[in-house]
Amino acid sequence: MINARKAIVRAAVVYATLIVAGLMGSAPASAHKLKVFASAVGDQIQGGAYFAGGGKAGGASILIQDGGGRTLAELQPDANGRFTYFATEPGDHLVVAKAPDGHQATWRISAAELAPAFPTQADDETTRGQGRVSPGLEGRQPSQEAVGAASAAAQQTGHAAPSPQLPAAIELAVARQIRPLREQLAAAQDRARLTDILGGIGYIIGIMGLALWWKSRRAPRDTP
Amino acid sequence: MAHIPDGVLSAPVLIAGATVGLGLVGTALRRLDYDRLPQAAVLSATFFVASLINVPLGPSSAHLLLNGLMGLLLGWTAVPALLVALILQAVFFGFGGLVVLGVNTLNLALPALLCALLLGPRLSPRSTPSQAFRTGLMAGVLGVLLTGTMVAISLGLSGEAYVPAAKILIAVYLPLAIAEGLITATVVAFLSRVAPETLAGETQGRAAP
Repeated sequence: MINARKAIVRAAVVYATLIVAGLMGSAPASAHKLKVFASAVGDQIQGGAYFAGGGKAGGASILIQDGGGRTLAELQPDANGRFTYFATEPGDHLVVAKAPDGHQATWRISAAELAPAFPTQADDETTRGQGRVSPGLEGRQPSQEAVGAASAAAQQTGHAAPSPQLPAAIELAVARQIRPLREQLAAAQDRARLTDILGGIGYIIGIMGLALWWKSRRAPRDTP
Repeated sequence: MAHIPDGVLSAPVLIAGATVGLGLVGTALRRLDYDRLPQAAVLSATFFVASLINVPLGPSSAHLLLNGLMGLLLGWTAVPALLVALILQAVFFGFGGLVVLGVNTLNLALPALLCALLLGPRLSPRSTPSQAFRTGLMAGVLGVLLTGTMVAISLGLSGEAYVPAAKILIAVYLPLAIAEGLITATVVAFLSRVAPETLAGETQGRAAP
């Protein structure tokens, strides 16, 4: 009987160790929270949905809303959680990611971020055209072409008056370059920090201490 | 899954959750067993940290809940222990929102209390380790499945679109329930061997004063 009991307990310890090891191994200190990141490159809003600290949220659905909360589009990200939305108007955009089990995350794209793709000078229709085409479908090449074209244009017109296309092209190139950096930064902020964990445990111990102190103050009156 | 973020649930669900949660915490504080506070703090800290270790499961990711274990070992004291840990998780890690704190507390604390009331009397300092193991297994499985059901109900009451998703949710959390059952069982069986006095069930705890 005692041996049987010991065997059960030993088996249980082995099971639990395996399970805990499995948990640790598959997702080391990852956090349980849906996150979404998005940034504007030209007139495209590109982004990804993921669980903080690890897995991609391919099963999430993405809503693009304007500043007033009106839904502009509903997207289904690919298996890696990536999505792309072509903005049709400048202005604030809100990217909302929803997982089917009730997780939700938002990311705001400010009007300023989209502004370069939508020049305000209505007269310069060619700039607008180039600015909107260049970020898009052909990948890395067009931005260099755009910069080249812009600088060529600048040389033609002389040093005194740089082309209006140049700032837009530069903004586009910079946005594309810093995008991965911003994404990494956002992901790094999601990781649970040791200070947070220790702080939380400290709070719990502190609250227990307060409750016990409260009890000890009342104790002399409670017991004769 | 037990951490529903802000902005998902509808206002009536939030208000109902907050009201019932508040009542539950009030009752728990009146019944607070001060002798169990150090235990409660240790389990609260464990619950707080356990949420950081996750396994991807289907379209979501899951972590241990431990509310069955907390209910079994703490009885009513589990309610403030869970509340404190949930507040700290929301503040430090951003798990769950502060507005949905009532609903989240309820979703974890009610199963814990049910475990305490249904399974607590089966445990006593004289329980054998195998009895303790079986009771722990049931508490772990019951805690996770009830919490999963309550999360699904909270989502379902907030909007039709969540109902099919909620069904998936329950299916996905079956493996978690088994893992949690085994871990809870191991902990309880271990306690019955090394520190059987900690297994005074809820009934004994209340009869004592």
